[in-house]
Amino acid sequence: MTTAPGSWHLDSALVRRYVDAATDAVTAASVEAHLLRCAECRRSIAAGTVDSASVARRSAIWTDVVDRLDAPRVGLLERVLRRIGVRDGDARLLAATPSLQLSWLASLLLALGFAVAAARGRDTAGALFLLVAPLLPVAGVAAAYGADVDPAYELSMAAPYRATRLLLLRSVSVLVASLGLAGAAALALPASGWSQAAWLLPALGLSVTTLALSTRLSPALAAAGVSLTWVSVVVRLLQLDRTADIAGASTQLSFLVLIVAATAVLAVRRDQFDTRSAA
Amino acid sequence: MSTTVVVDEVTRSFGRTRALDGVSFTASRGVTGLLGPNGAGKTTLLRMMATVLAPGGGRLSLLGLDPAQPEDRLAIRRRLGYLPQEPGFYKHFTAFEFVDYIAILKEMTDRRSRHDEVRRVLALAGLTEVSGKKIRALSGGMRRRVGLAQALLGDPDLVVLDEPTVGLDPEQRLRFRELISAIGEGRTVLLSTHQTEDVGALCSRIVVLDAGRTRFDGTPRELRELARGRVWLSDDRPVGAQLSWRTGEGRHRNLGTPAAGVELIDPTLEDGYLLLLGERALADAA
Repeated sequence: MTTAPGSWHLDSALVRRYVDAATDAVTAASVEAHLLRCAECRRSIAAGTVDSASVARRSAIWTDVVDRLDAPRVGLLERVLRRIGVRDGDARLLAATPSLQLSWLASLLLALGFAVAAARGRDTAGALFLLVAPLLPVAGVAAAYGADVDPAYELSMAAPYRATRLLLLRSVSVLVASLGLAGAAALALPASGWSQAAWLLPALGLSVTTLALSTRLSPALAAAGVSLTWVSVVVRLLQLDRTADIAGASTQLSFLVLIVAATAVLAVRRDQFDTRSAA
Repeated sequence: MSTTVVVDEVTRSFGRTRALDGVSFTASRGVTGLLGPNGAGKTTLLRMMATVLAPGGGRLSLLGLDPAQPEDRLAIRRRLGYLPQEPGFYKHFTAFEFVDYIAILKEMTDRRSRHDEVRRVLALAGLTEVSGKKIRALSGGMRRRVGLAQALLGDPDLVVLDEPTVGLDPEQRLRFRELISAIGEGRTVLLSTHQTEDVGALCSRIVVLDAGRTRFDGTPRELRELARGRVWLSDDRPVGAQLSWRTGEGRHRNLGTPAAGVELIDPTLEDGYLLLLGERALADAA
């Protein structure tokens, strides 16, 4: 800085460094204090900041400031998703999922609560829970995406985003949420050990089967078919007093096979989701 | 002017109903209006333009691409803006969040530039003030504007609007027309309506559909001229008029084949449309 009191001005090298944000905080503060009083230096600063690099940098900063001030507060679910590391775009896509809404999850908890309460103090402890727990993720998957449940389905079909990706993203999240809730509820069951986890593979198997069937049928129809089959099988086992079979190795193994087979069908037929409506 | 939309003998049936029965027309830059009574096939045709429905037969070309081919379809969707007849909304989203959601589906991955674009289209649709409001708190007209805003994301080359002015009050309609005509200056806009005023005010081309077929393809002036010499005023209800109604001034306005010596008047676009479709259009208007 030239130092004649009252009449000094910022030299051009300092202006350059200030514009490039290359000064330390104390120097920047004294430059700014001077700029407030000196019109001539303000002009020279303005002239020195028109090159494209500094304009681009300032406009990026400005966009960021505007974005932070202007972006409306996002919903609770989206904040939670972002907090656990979901990318902001994906969090928005998930926040629209009908079966990830609080009301849906609350009714899940209610259903699980009833199942646990009914299972307590009975000979067939856990049978009702076994019946109900795998149905919840099936319903959730069916209500995650599709013409029947997604109000903006038509808009999403006309957009370039892959329908398969949207469907899988939502289904996986619904599965994680509903399996998590069912898992927590299972801990409250009176039974212990393996039988407490016997519902898990059926739940996964039925959910993936629903998705695989959705490549041909509407998700609601697929879920209804899968659920009916499951209910009739469990009721039959109840009648025969053989519900313990579900926790048996051979049944669990067959559900594992079902998961693998349904996943394979899903992988082969995944493009059906993109072309279905345009077919 | 390059042709952006080619519809060639396109058909489509739903069960036994023949929604489109061999429709043909082309469209280029500017606003093309699809006019026709309810059930004429307008929505079916526009859903095809939006790549969400495939033709049962015939040929369709959009932006020089074939929507039946997956790669082409993706390329069309990247340059498309679409307002369905009944766009569904996530009502727990704010207007900003909803438009941002569609922007994500339109592959705008960078958050800041995407938010800029969302703000731009919300401003275009006059929604800046309510962008933070939940959609469930917005009126029908406002929601319609949210629908339009999302259709403008990314400055698409082809804009498909299914009944964009339905449910709007006159002032909003005017704003919409202003906006749509501005959009149509550099792009191809296809819109459907059953309101002849909209078409007259907006469209450089009109295609009239009736019962799944093209009944007219031309300019608004040509549609109006169809009724030239077939509209007249009289003091009493005349014999031989296809249509006749008493106007506010107490005289009868008549459409049809006039007798000699009657007081002929200038036709309107609506006259041309009514004469073209006759009884069917009347039944729809009733």
